[in-house]
Formats: sequence, structure tokens, C-alpha cells
Amino acid sequence: MAEATTSKVAERASFWDRVPRGMITVTVAVVGLFALSAILAPSSVTKGPLLGMLPFASVLAIAALGQTLVVQQGGIDLSVPGAISLTVVVATHEAAGDDSRLLYAGLVALVAVLIAGSINGFVIGRLGLNPIIATLGMNALLYGVVLWLSGGIPRQTTDLLAKITAGLTFGIPNAVFFAVAATAIVAVAVKRTVSGRRFEAVGANPVAAWAAGLRVRRHRTGAYVWAMVLYWLAGMLLAGILNKPTAYQGDSYLLPSVAAVVLGGTSLLGGRGFPVATALAALFLSQLDSFVLALGVSFAARTLVEAFALAIGVALYTVDWKAIRERLFGARRAVPAGSSP
Amino acid sequence: MTSLAEKRQGTGELVTENTATMVETEATMVLSGISKYYSGVAALQDVSFDVRPGEVHALLGENGAGKSTLMNVASGTTRPDTGSITVAGEVLETLTPSLATTLGIAIVHQHPAVLEDLTVAENIRLAVPAEFLAGQGSRREAMQAMLDDVGSTAHLEDRVGGLSVAQKHLLELAKALVMKPKVLILDEPTAPLGQASVDLLFERVRAAAAAGTAIVYITHRLAEIRVIAQRVTVLRDGKYRGTSDVQDVTDDELLSWIVGRQLESTFPPKHVSVETTGTYLSVSGLSGKGFSDISVSAQTGEIVGVAGVVGNGQSDLMGALAGLSRFDGSIEIHGEEHTGRDLRARAAYMPADRHREGLMMTLSVRENAAVGSLKRFTRGLFVSTREEVGSIGHELTELDVKAPNMDANVASLSGGNQQKVVMARALLSEPTIVVADEPTQGVDVGARAEIYRILREIAEAGTPVVVNSSDAKELEGLCDRVIVMSRGRVVQELAGDEVTEQRIVSAAVSATAHTEQRTAQRQARSSRVRRFLQGDYSPVLILAIVMVALGAYVFSQNDRYFTAFNITSIQGLVAALGFIALGQTIALMTGGIDLSVGPLAGFLVVVASFFIGNESPMGQILFGFILMLIAAVITGAINGFLIRFGKFTPVAATLAVYIALQGLSFVLRDGPEGIINSSVTGIIKAKVGPFPVVFIILVAFTFALEFALRYTRWGITLRAVGSNEEAARRVGVRVNRTVMLAYISVSLCVFIGGILLMGQIGIGDPSQGANFTLTSITAVVLGGTSLLGGRGTFIGTLLGAGLIIQVLNATTFLGLEQAWVYFFQGALIVVAALVYSQVRRQRATV
Repeated sequence: MAEATTSKVAERASFWDRVPRGMITVTVAVVGLFALSAILAPSSVTKGPLLGMLPFASVLAIAALGQTLVVQQGGIDLSVPGAISLTVVVATHEAAGDDSRLLYAGLVALVAVLIAGSINGFVIGRLGLNPIIATLGMNALLYGVVLWLSGGIPRQTTDLLAKITAGLTFGIPNAVFFAVAATAIVAVAVKRTVSGRRFEAVGANPVAAWAAGLRVRRHRTGAYVWAMVLYWLAGMLLAGILNKPTAYQGDSYLLPSVAAVVLGGTSLLGGRGFPVATALAALFLSQLDSFVLALGVSFAARTLVEAFALAIGVALYTVDWKAIRERLFGARRAVPAGSSP
Repeated sequence: MTSLAEKRQGTGELVTENTATMVETEATMVLSGISKYYSGVAALQDVSFDVRPGEVHALLGENGAGKSTLMNVASGTTRPDTGSITVAGEVLETLTPSLATTLGIAIVHQHPAVLEDLTVAENIRLAVPAEFLAGQGSRREAMQAMLDDVGSTAHLEDRVGGLSVAQKHLLELAKALVMKPKVLILDEPTAPLGQASVDLLFERVRAAAAAGTAIVYITHRLAEIRVIAQRVTVLRDGKYRGTSDVQDVTDDELLSWIVGRQLESTFPPKHVSVETTGTYLSVSGLSGKGFSDISVSAQTGEIVGVAGVVGNGQSDLMGALAGLSRFDGSIEIHGEEHTGRDLRARAAYMPADRHREGLMMTLSVRENAAVGSLKRFTRGLFVSTREEVGSIGHELTELDVKAPNMDANVASLSGGNQQKVVMARALLSEPTIVVADEPTQGVDVGARAEIYRILREIAEAGTPVVVNSSDAKELEGLCDRVIVMSRGRVVQELAGDEVTEQRIVSAAVSATAHTEQRTAQRQARSSRVRRFLQGDYSPVLILAIVMVALGAYVFSQNDRYFTAFNITSIQGLVAALGFIALGQTIALMTGGIDLSVGPLAGFLVVVASFFIGNESPMGQILFGFILMLIAAVITGAINGFLIRFGKFTPVAATLAVYIALQGLSFVLRDGPEGIINSSVTGIIKAKVGPFPVVFIILVAFTFALEFALRYTRWGITLRAVGSNEEAARRVGVRVNRTVMLAYISVSLCVFIGGILLMGQIGIGDPSQGANFTLTSITAVVLGGTSLLGGRGTFIGTLLGAGLIIQVLNATTFLGLEQAWVYFFQGALIVVAALVYSQVRRQRATV
């Protein structure tokens, strides 16, 4: 074995080796996609479409960050649409076009989704309910509240919120700043704090984490609560970006949020999470939309491309490519047992 | 295969043609010169063994002596590197598990290969070929007779998960005995049994031997050999030590064969007792699950060893010392009493199963080592990378961990280095006690010596160290004090010079105590009510009651509820959802999920809208239906393929297919277009009285599926795979095929659902269908099918689908707002899941 001669256990891996595989894949994909866009559909990388795409990419990125936290604990959150829709509806209906009520409306929405997140966390983390069932039920309950509040009627957003979220600073949509900040905060919290590091360990192997003395249930519950904070932020942004958001605005964020998490390289089995890669994957999916749109192809082709991107993304991480290479190219790499190269 | 079967018959005749005296002496099975190496390490070296008809031949040896490997060779699960296997006079070139079964070789494993979610009867049907259950009387009588024969008190309809370990073993034994094997291998059969059951077991073994079966009896207990066996063979360190008739050999002689192994690794010097040292660990009256009344105390600097035959409560004791399980009694460290909670936070636990309990296999060496001591590296709010890398690097270097660098994935390290990473974590966390369960299992020789040295240093530095090991030689070399456990109790405590392999093994194998009979009193047959509650059909009853109550309430509020029109419309809606939900049930039964059902249903309607139009000729309409069928089958096959061969999680696989199908629908149609042939929709909407024909078909189909689930091999293998893939494989289920077939079956159900949906919407609308995914999952969960796989009913799903539609319908009759539809749906699924999980938790340890 090579390890016997080259043990440098006190050292870190080189910087490039430390960059996660998901990060590399997604970065290459994003760069490639923008290059392709510039060549095949130059109109999709002009100022107008980019300014149109970026705010939605930001919303998706933030929602996907929340989904990442839940997936890190081996769960999945189907209550994303309900949470985003509820935030949107509360922000527009409670504020009712009145700027001075915006803060109040935002807080009400935050409290509401936090309650929902706590219930999710409680029934999953404490009572051991399956995440799919619990969050599916929670999503329906949240939509119940949405319809109860709005009656399904869209309302004009407040000017202040529109200005905050849809405005430009240095020529860049404000939503982008929110997304970048959220990504940075999540990344630092998960990778650089004690709680975050423990959070990843619990997700990677709850049994071992329990044996090592970590508070498994608290971390599990926490994932669903923190995820809600991010969905809330996504919802608030969406409420401002859209002029007249409907009651079902969150629906289009469930599958893409999961897709972004998977593309970013976070395993659906839980463990290590890659917030930056997830956010880039969200950018990729959004640009893919506008690229295909600029090509003049229908909504259809774009979902097909998404499906392929997702399948390839998963296959990159799950399929044992080394074994397949070896099988395809014969026993070239086979080393007799016991001998060390 | 046929030629082998013929050969077997040929030799069978040969034996009967021979004289009776020949049969007396000729061995049924002969293993000669067997060697087996695992990556260069010998597990077996030139071992020979034979067993004759009608005899009980005991196979004796310490843990790791190679007994189980030898028997795996004999039963075809392990292929030897050299040596030959002869069965009934026929030399076999290769022996596979299925060939072993045909040859009449049966093995009862130490860990029963039973499927917990299936009933006793289903477990028997899955493992035992039908011909062995034929004979006089019905199959059920034959199965009951099997159980009675081994003294099992389990009911045929009991779920195996609810049985005690002893009952599971008896079930395994019954499964083996009923096939009238020529060779029967019993791997430590008495370990979980109480005295009464042991007597019964011995009686059965003698009876089987009297009938001519050759029996191999693996054990650790000398006392048992005297009672049951005629001959005994001893293995040590994978080598053959000798065979003797039981009456010709004394216990001391046998012991000398078992012990005396040479160890290559060296041990650090033992603790030298100084008068001034006090007691640093004092355990008294410790009892918990698997062990009772353990007391031991150790002087500062002493390493305490825990010995005994594997599975006698040692690991349970270690878990308690590490604060992972509840205990009564007291644990004092340096004179200070510790609760379980303290211990879990502050003890350093090195588990025997490193992969499951010790390491986060997907994380790096650094992350694994640091997880217990992160607080020490924090500067301000954050973990300081410099502090962390410095400390971790120092510790890993001290322990001489061999890895390319500290960011290497811990899974890429050898067993010994992985164990050192666990130790690094333990040391960095500055523990109050170190609890090491089998610390050198799977560790190479060089690393072993290191691990011994480190444990010794920890103890010398004043932190108590407790080591459990199945290797008595290791305990002799490492420990200053050893407690020997049997059946959860301490049978001997050895200290100082008494700590020798000889004394330890002698104490462990001479123990005769059997598991307490406490369990026996509770082994009364389960009541009918309890079986129903724990069975799959209790949710059906609950749902039926809820539906009747809801119906009655709505009717009391609005008397138009029970009109023929409303009944027809409810049933029509149930039909489409019902078929799709039945499909979903199949996916969940395997422990998977199929998110693509909704878009598939919608996609099939879109496909249909091109071929089944009003102007379309008959042939084209038929072609349309065939095309729908093909699309469905392909979808199912893709799902199954991605999950089984692409190693996708079911969620990821079916999510990708979900998105793709939606995309395809929109490729084919931009919006609602293509009216469906009205006479086709007319047929779909046909009625008998107020009942839609399709609803009647749905009900019939549900019962047919339910029947198939309970009584056909398709259904039983489906649940077996969902219940426990590994155990299913061991009893001969082809897992990949079963799962592929399951996902294709799901799509076929969706195909029928799609046709009904086509009748409902009557146009190719690409945006329809997707909602069925979540609704179908809701219906299945309401019906009581477990998302963990292995358990559920189709009838429950039908009622679940019915309840969802009924609730939707009721809100309009009660004049409620649309919001209530969602409130009801959300509350229903969560409450149902909680109630069912509570009902199931009532399962007793019968």
C-alpha cells in the first residue's frame, strides 16, 4: 500500500485536493453553460435577460440552501412550497401595500414558518416520523393557512419591499446580495463553527455521533428550523421581486431546490453539505432556463435538460466509475495482492 | 444443474446398494486440506473435517479460530482457495449455496436469517420448497407441526419481528429440520436459549441424528459436548488441532488444544502495583439489558479486561460503561459517581463495529478525529483551523496513523489506522474513562502493538481503561485484571498472575449457566386481538370507522350527500387515484418510493391524445393504447435500473424521471389539445346502477393484488426485499429482479390509472397529473403501509384514496372554504402516521 511510505498525516491536503468534487463539477457546468449561452444564444447573456434571471436564481439558491441543511440530516423537505407561499402571502396581504406594515408582516411570516419548522423538527427528530410524510403533511397545512388568509387572491406587493429586493445596487439586483450573504453565512456556520461541524458529523452517521456523545436529536430538529429561516428569506425576496405574487408561488421551488442540492454534491443519504456548490447549482439551473428560452425552445426542453443534468449529477457521485473503467479496460490496473507499488 | 442432480441420485443409489456396514462408516461429508486466505492472511490452513451419518460431531475453538469460515465453506457461501469437498462420496469441484441446498446441506446461522416484517408462516413459505410441506394434512398443519416439533410456541400468524431471539432461532431450526437434511450445521444454537429450550433442542438433535442426519455442532461449551456429541474436532488459529471421540478425551486435553496460540505482536509491560495507588474505577452491582450484577474495581493504572464467549453480555456492559444504554448500580471513577448522561458525554468509546458506531465514513480523517474536541479549538465564534490542524496533526503523528494526509477520507484507511483515528478522537476529548470494545478486531499486527501501547499509556496516566476482547491471549498480554462473563454474569475474576489464557478460556467454556427462564413465562401464544392490532389490517379498520363517521356527519348536515349522482362522482374520482396509489403501494413495499407516478399518468394521457382522437380509426386507437403501455413499462424499467444498477436513491431516481416526464409532456403538447375519442371516454365512464364500472374493477383489482401480496411468491418476495434485503438474499430471493419488477408493476398500475384520468379530463393536457404523486403517497400512508418497506396492504390504500376524495367532497357539502381541504389533508397524513406508529410500537417481546 502506498500509504505506508507517504504518510503525511500531520499535513493538510493541497488546496486543490480539498475543493469538493461537487464544487468542481458545478463550477465547470456553470462556466460551460455561460460559454455555450454566449455562443449559441448570445441574447441570453445580455443585460436584460441576466437582470431578469438573477433575482430568481437568488431565490432558488436560498431555498436550496435550506433544503441542503435538511438533506444533510438524511431528510427531505417537501414543505418548501408551503413555507415560501405562506411568506409571500403574509408579506403581501398583511402589509396590504402599506410600507409601514412591512416589518410587522415580515415578522409575522417568520414566526409562522418557525412554528412550522419546529413542528417538522419535533415530529421527525423526536417522534421519529418519516420526513417525507411529516413535511408532506406540513406543506398541506401551510397551504391551508395560505388559502385561509388570501382566499387565493393575489395582491400587489409593497413598494418598499419591491425596492429592497428588486432594486439595483452597482447595477446588480439586490436579491443577489442577499443570496451571496446567505450562502456565506450558511457555509461559515456549517464549516467553521462547533455546532456546524457537529451537525455534519450527526448527518454523516447518527449512530456514531450518538456514541461520541453528540446531541443527535437537537441537530436533527435544528435542520428543519434553520431551513425555514432560509425559506422565509426566499419568500420575502420573491414577494418583492414579483409585482403581484399568487398564492401558489412556492410550488415551482420544490423540485428545483432538491435538484440544486443533488447537483451541488450533497448526498441524499446525509452527511457533508456543500452550500456554495448548491448556490452555484441554483444559478446553473436558472441560467439553463433562460438559455433554453433564448434558444426559442419551449418550457419542455428545459425541463428535459434539467432532468438529464440531475441524473448525470447524481450518477457522477453514486456510480462507481473507477470499477466501471476497470471493467471496461481490462485488468490493467489490477495489482497482485500483497505487493506494493 | 441437471447433470449434478443426476449424479447425486446416482450416488444415492450407490450408497443404498452398498452394504449397511459401509453406510455406518462412510462419511456423509468430507472436507480435506481446506485453506482460505483473506488478502494474504490465512483464515484456514490445511484443515480436514468429516461428519458421518447419525453422528453429532462437535467443532470447538476460540473466536476467530476459523469454525465459521470452515462451515461457510461446507455450506457453499465461501469458496476455499485449496482443498476438496466430498459429499456422499462425490467430489465436488465447486459448491454454491443453491447446490448445497439440493445436496441436503442445511445451516442454522448464529444470527437468524429471518424476515422481521413477515409472519412466521410466510418466512417458512419463502425458505422451504413446497414439496417439504406436502404430505398428509394441509400446508398450515404441516407448518404447525414443524413448529411444534422444535417446541416453538410462536403462532403461524405472528410477525417474526415480535418474536424473542430464542423463538427466531427455533424457527430457523424448524426450517432446516423440515427439509430432512443429510448434513445439518448448527452454529452455537444454545446461545440464546433457556434451559428448557436447550433440553428440547438436544432431544431434536438426537432424533435427527437417529434418523441418519450428519450433524455438525459448533460450540464454545465443553459441557455441551459431553451431553450431545460423539466426536469433537478442535481448531486453533485456522489450523487443525485434532479430532477425538468425546469419551476418549478429558476436558484438560481439549483445553490444551484450544489455547496456546502464538501471538506475533508484543505487549507493553504490565502495571507495577505501588502501595500508594488507590482505586480509580469501581463498578458495583451494575445491571442492564444483557448483563446483571457486575462488580469490579481496579487500582489506578490497571487495565480491566472483559472476557467470555462472544454474545454473553460483554458488549452490552461496554455500552453501559460508555453511557449509551441504561443501567442500575453505580460506576465510580476516581471516587466520583457517574450517571449514564455524564458518561455518554465524557467517556471515550471505541466500538467493536467501527463502521457503524465509530466513524463517520464519508468524512475525512481530520473531521473524524476532531469531532469530540471541537470546543478546544474555538477562538471567538469559530473553530480555528490552525489550532485544529496543529492539535490533530500532533495527535495523529503520536499515534503513527498512516494516511496520505489528514484530509483523506477515513474510509480509504486500513482497519488499524481507522481504529487509531477513533483512538485519536478519544484521546483528544480528554475522557474520564476509555471503553474499548474489541479494539484490535480487523487490525493488522503492527498496529496492534501500537494500540496496546497507547491503551497502557492512558491507564498509566490515570484514566481507567476497560477492554473487551474475544481473544483471551490478548487479554492475558494486556490486562492486569479480567472478569469472565457468561450469560450476562461474572463467572470469574482474575487478577495479576492469574490472568492467563488458560484460566480465561477455562472459565469461559466451562460455564454451564443458561439464559434465565424469565422469558419463558411470557411465551404464551399471542392473543387474537394483539395479532390484529400488530397486523397490517388495523389501519383498514380505523380508516373504515373514520369514513363511516365522516359520511354520517356530512349526511346529517346535508341530505343531498347520498344521492346517486354524488356517489357516482366520488367513486369515479377514487378510481383514477386508486390505481395510481396501488402502484405507489408496491414501490413503498420494497422500501422505495416512486415520485414519477403523477407525471407518468399525465404523460400517458398526452400520448393518448395523439392517437385516440374522435376521428381516429380503430387500429390507431389500439396502437395508442399499446404505446401507452410501452411507455409505462419503459418508465418503470428506467426507475428500477437507476435504483438497482445506478445506485441512485429512490427519491433521486424517480425525481429525475419525474422532471423528464413532465418535460416530455410539454414537448408533445404546449397546452390542452387533442380531444380524446368520446366513445372511448364513454366506455370508461360506463356505470352499473350508480356505480362506475371502473370503480368496480378497481375494487376487484385491489382484492386481487391483496391476494397476490399474501399468497403468491411475487408478494412474499416483494415484502421480503422491503423488510431486509440481506436476509432476503440469504434465503434465495433475487433482489435486483424483484425490485425491477416492482417498479414496472408500479408503472403498470399507473397505466390503468392514466386511462381513467384520460376519461376524466378528456384532452391531452401537459399540466395534468403531477399532483397525483403527493396525493398517492398520502393515500398509501393513510392506508397504513410503512415507508420503511415490508409492511402494508392494498386494501388500506384503497380506503386511503377513498378517504381523501371523501374529504374533498365533504368540504363542498359542508360549505367549507378551500383552505379546509388542505387542513384536512395535512392533518390526516400526520395524525395517521403518528397513530399507526404508536399502534405498531405496542409490539411485545413475546
